Amino acid sequence: MPRAIGIDLGTTHSLVAHVDERNRPRVIAVDGGSPLLPSAVHYGADGSVEVGWSARRRAPERPVDTVLSVKRLMGRGPADLRPEDRGIYRFDEAGPVVKLVVAEGRRSVTPVEVSAEILRVLRRRAGEALDGPPGGAVITVPAYFDDAQRQATRDAGRLAGLEVLRLLNEPTAAAVAYGLDQRSQGLFAVYDLGGGTFDVSILRLEGGVFEVLATGGDTHLGGDDFDRAVAEVLLARGLEPAGARPGPALLRGAVAAARELREALTAREEAEVDAPLAEGRRLRARLGRAELEELIRPLVERTTAPCLRALADAGVGEGRRVDGVVLVGGATRTPLVKRHVRALFGQEPLCDLDPDTVVALGAALQADALDRGGREDLLLLDVIPLSLGVEMMGGVVEKIVQRNSTIPASATQQFTTYADGQTGMVVHVVQGERELARDCRSLARFTLRGIPPLPAGLARVEIRYAVDADGILQVSAREVHTGVEQSIQVKPTYGLSEEEVERMLIESIEHAAEDVSERFLREWRVEADRMLASLESGLRLDGELLSPAEREPIAQRMAGLRQAVAGDDHLAIKAWMDSLDAASREFAERRMNEHVARALAGHRLEELAGEAAPRPVPPKEG
Amino acid sequence: MDCWSCQSEVGSREAFCAACGAIQPPDPSEDHFSLLGMPRRYALDPAELERRFRDLSRRLHPDRFARAAPRERRLSLERATRLNDAHRVLRDSRRRAEYLLRLAGADALAGGGAADPAFLEEQLALREALAEARGAGDGEAGLRLAAEARARLGRAEQEIAALFAEQELGRERLAEIARRLARARFDEQLAAEAEGGPAPAGARGGP
Repeated sequence: MPRAIGIDLGTTHSLVAHVDERNRPRVIAVDGGSPLLPSAVHYGADGSVEVGWSARRRAPERPVDTVLSVKRLMGRGPADLRPEDRGIYRFDEAGPVVKLVVAEGRRSVTPVEVSAEILRVLRRRAGEALDGPPGGAVITVPAYFDDAQRQATRDAGRLAGLEVLRLLNEPTAAAVAYGLDQRSQGLFAVYDLGGGTFDVSILRLEGGVFEVLATGGDTHLGGDDFDRAVAEVLLARGLEPAGARPGPALLRGAVAAARELREALTAREEAEVDAPLAEGRRLRARLGRAELEELIRPLVERTTAPCLRALADAGVGEGRRVDGVVLVGGATRTPLVKRHVRALFGQEPLCDLDPDTVVALGAALQADALDRGGREDLLLLDVIPLSLGVEMMGGVVEKIVQRNSTIPASATQQFTTYADGQTGMVVHVVQGERELARDCRSLARFTLRGIPPLPAGLARVEIRYAVDADGILQVSAREVHTGVEQSIQVKPTYGLSEEEVERMLIESIEHAAEDVSERFLREWRVEADRMLASLESGLRLDGELLSPAEREPIAQRMAGLRQAVAGDDHLAIKAWMDSLDAASREFAERRMNEHVARALAGHRLEELAGEAAPRPVPPKEG
Repeated sequence: MDCWSCQSEVGSREAFCAACGAIQPPDPSEDHFSLLGMPRRYALDPAELERRFRDLSRRLHPDRFARAAPRERRLSLERATRLNDAHRVLRDSRRRAEYLLRLAGADALAGGGAADPAFLEEQLALREALAEARGAGDGEAGLRLAAEARARLGRAEQEIAALFAEQELGRERLAEIARRLARARFDEQLAAEAEGGPAPAGARGGP
């Protein structure tokens, strides 16, 4: 019988585990006997894809084509990228979704596709270890992941051919592994500092029910940041020959050296690095543990506020203590982090289980339970990490589902129109705790149309938010008098559309079958020619809709596509088509609007005018 | 009502069919109290509420239905959502009070507090005091305002409990409760602002 698996899709490494015949969770060896698969994917110019240690080894020499820490890019839009995330990669900036240009410029891939490569390897290894393809999977995500990041993770699972039974929060998974192992009862905190993310969850364990009371975190804080801070100092101190701004390959090497040094300092008071780097340079430096701690202290201290808030949200006020603190994530091996946790929670943290594998083990236990239709001694009640709201007139956020609500959850609220005769209402869905929509994460925006034209404040629109057991949101809006209704699975602004996921699924199959490449070459050449012809005529007719600066990226990509069509690399044609498609989307929309406007000139302008953000109906629905 | 799966007779509020065990659709008219099997009143035993919530979760949660037919998965999601929504309202004393008012058809009274001129003036004065404390960078004055608001909140809770304990809950009493709730909402927000952070999620008078 196919067995369900649990996957820890981590920033620096990923693991897969299952529950054996004797009901014990076990990690599966994936990469040369180790259960840890580095979350590294290398794209070769020849179309090859390598995952794991072999990819990581290529990172220093081929930094741009080797994607590390892709988790930091999941569910993010181009505007969300922080300089440290951008790192050394080349990005295809044209579309709304972040894309990395790899394989020496021949392919552009989304973070979802990169993650799917990692998941595919885990699925394959699990299949080999279990003598058959896995039956279903639980994939863990940081508790603090927002809706877009969760959806991206679920899409990656699908793309890798996994049946994703559930997304599970990492600290909750760790608590499951711990709680079932130790038969614990009481109030527990899980402090999870991984490669790139920090989570804290407060849970109540009672009679096999793991009830998350509150969660907090930071999706941009982890061991990676420690390494970057250390690497900077090492480069300043021991780069030979010094001078000249280090290039991407050199930075990669320095970060890798910093990581080894930091790990060495877990057990020692002083350590040194002497490593050859790219560009014929060398890194030679010593670092003491005290110096290391000074460097990373500000980062470690950033975990304090989320912990205190989670404790307060869980109702663990001053003077009360949790019964235990569990450490998860490789970065919690750092002595400074352990001391920090001890001081913060007033007790010695538990670390009996390996902080690297505990999340995967918990995911396997949950996968097994789901697969069996539940287990008497295990039920997880998790929460939504960030409030979900809607933007009101004036840009203020009205929260609809509060953070730390147990999921699945739902809430409805009524709103009214702002202007006389308003027939449309823009529903801008946001996630976060800040008061203003522009400070929150924008998840989706849609317009409810067909509101009967009434004086301001008379129409009633009911907005319902429903969050499922994976923490993913669905929004529906309904005009109360007429029953006009719109429902959308919130497809995040920066996410992939259903069609894109379908296309990628097909493509991933295409990529596996090299022998059909000839067919695609023919088909895509035809498609590319059609695309070029249509754009050429569009630019001739409506070129004035674009400024010269806006026209430039389109022209560039058209030239690139023409060149690709002349060659015989079908993947290159496809990549250029995708890129051109994204770059010209705005133009296509403007053309569409222009034509609609011309067609409607003089007609029913009031229909087009009345669209504004919602306004609350006083009194608030309880 | 007939079970959708085996057509046996099922009570409209039964979660499962006695004959075939299939999960049943929720009854939209069922209120939060009866859903959790608690008496419909303000005073409740928190431990009992939690026990019932856990027991029901064990039976209804989507995790029990991950491998079930799509229809059962959907029904479990609907039932678990309702259960969680009910639990969230009932475990919080203020939300519970607001919900009782709504069940009594007195939710329109909830805005009543704002119409009370004395309360309006008090609000303005307190807001001004907070703005002043902030403007002057006087953290102590801010914390004092927060502590006072918290003290009022504690008193309001007792008063609301006492009002709900009365035999007859006439319109006048309900209006009285609504006024106190409006004040409590204001005090909660004031305290949170004065303490300088966002209100604790569970405590805010949300939807």
